[in-house]
Amino acid sequence: MIRPGLARACTAMLRRDLTLAWRRRGDIAMPVLYALIVTMLFPFALGPEDTLLQRIAGGVILVTVLLSMLLALDVLFSSDIEDGSLEQLVLAPQPLALMLGMKILAHWITTALPLIVATPLLAAMLHLPAAVIPVLLLALLLATPLLSLFGAVLVALTAGTRRSGMLLALMLLPLCVPAVIFAAGAVAAAQQGLPWLAPIVWLAAALVLAVALGPLACAAALRIALDA
Amino acid sequence: MSNWIPLWLHKLSSPPTFYRFAGTLLPWMMALALLLGAIGLYGGLVLAPPDYQQGDAYRIIFIHVPSAWMSMFIYGVMGVSAFIALVWRIKLAEVVAMESAPIGAAFTFITLVTGSLWGKPMWGTWWTWDARLTSELVLLFLYLGVIGLYHAFEDRRQGARAAAFLAIIGIINVPIVHYSVTWWNTLHQGSTVDIFGHSKIAWDMLWPLLTVTLATKFYYAASLFRRARTDLLALESGKEWVRQIAQREGKR
Amino acid sequence: MSFHTLQGFFAMGGYALYVWPAYAVFFTVLIADTLSPIVRRRRVLRELNARLARQSARQATQASDTTTPTQTAASTDGSRPCP
Repeated sequence: MIRPGLARACTAMLRRDLTLAWRRRGDIAMPVLYALIVTMLFPFALGPEDTLLQRIAGGVILVTVLLSMLLALDVLFSSDIEDGSLEQLVLAPQPLALMLGMKILAHWITTALPLIVATPLLAAMLHLPAAVIPVLLLALLLATPLLSLFGAVLVALTAGTRRSGMLLALMLLPLCVPAVIFAAGAVAAAQQGLPWLAPIVWLAAALVLAVALGPLACAAALRIALDA
Repeated sequence: MSNWIPLWLHKLSSPPTFYRFAGTLLPWMMALALLLGAIGLYGGLVLAPPDYQQGDAYRIIFIHVPSAWMSMFIYGVMGVSAFIALVWRIKLAEVVAMESAPIGAAFTFITLVTGSLWGKPMWGTWWTWDARLTSELVLLFLYLGVIGLYHAFEDRRQGARAAAFLAIIGIINVPIVHYSVTWWNTLHQGSTVDIFGHSKIAWDMLWPLLTVTLATKFYYAASLFRRARTDLLALESGKEWVRQIAQREGKR
Repeated sequence: MSFHTLQGFFAMGGYALYVWPAYAVFFTVLIADTLSPIVRRRRVLRELNARLARQSARQATQASDTTTPTQTAASTDGSRPCP
């Protein structure tokens, strides 16, 4: 049972983060633009053959989305650390994990969701068969929150340091390997006409686990990183 | 009830005691490592007969396999001491976890390089995306992430605690990576190479392998002690016992 | 004894190009791993000694501001500087 005060705190947190993001709409468009540019470069580099582009499309889109999310990841807590509101959040009576979960949700809505919306466009640029696009979208819907949650834990760990873009990529790489393998595996299986449900179910299982544990790990990491 | 073991451990975890203890043990560990390493490598390189399939190229396993075992063993030690460091906030556990990371990364690097030097003549390729190899590469990145995070902090102890947290996340991650890469290999039906195909290994080859393995264990202990001693000097530089050491060794 | 000549040993049955670089990497990396804490230890101790020297120098000048030079020599001689 959730106390009414807690639910109000959650919605307030979510609304605050979404409002802040909406005030800087340009930043929301940046990852999408980045993904478009990267996807556009592949046909130039590999040649415009349909069969080749079709074969690599699923993997290219997944990796592009991952990199775009990585690009937007280190701003997750940075402005809140600068103005000190994150420390207020740590001291607040509401459970920190829940509040951070809301922040991660808001971050996912503002960075990953636009990328997922733009995915059919990217798929079309690489001639991915229309029948595979729903599987790709489903895989992205499950894999991107996973990446957001993993990323949030790592960003929280680096909260006490100065700029850490490359370090974040280095730390995220080992964590995102399984997510990329299963998401790309589902798309590849769908493309070959094989059953693709198994990897999707694995992704879903991992996501359920990450939703439960990610915010808690994030809160623990943040307490370590801010504890000076 | 004998409670001298926890008492002894408690005393050992105090930096000056550990500094002296490690300093006494260090030369012995290093001597054992060198002696066992020399015996094992003599047995492996000179005494052991060539493999009937791989000729003399298999002699790389006498360093490759012990390094691979060490790369995982050290990650285990790092994970356990990271856990102790986070739960009980023992300074020595932080030092052990953080100074294990570079040694582990060194062994992981050796494993990858010697593995590919072995793979080239045996299966004709420097690298294959086999589950074992990929996991080892991911392990290297985990080590580098821990080292990088540790050094990103201004405050050493805070960095150690953050990196310890990352090390624990990594311990959960390694089996998942191994499993998912195995699954990925079956999907793509890539070149599955059975590295340890012959499970029955002759005694002439086994004893050098085990001796070198033991040597790397002692080497790890020696290197860890050396690094931990240095780290404790830097961490406790304001304390009286460190001043005494600095004044004594500064004279020489 | 697997090799009858020294040349045979160095040739490693034709695999010398793979076996010896592997061993070279093994020893190079481990020697570097051994040397780095030794170098670091020397640097830490040097910095510490420099800091201690600065500290005692500062205390000596502070003492000379308030007291006569003869007393300063006596005070820095006997006691170790405290933080």
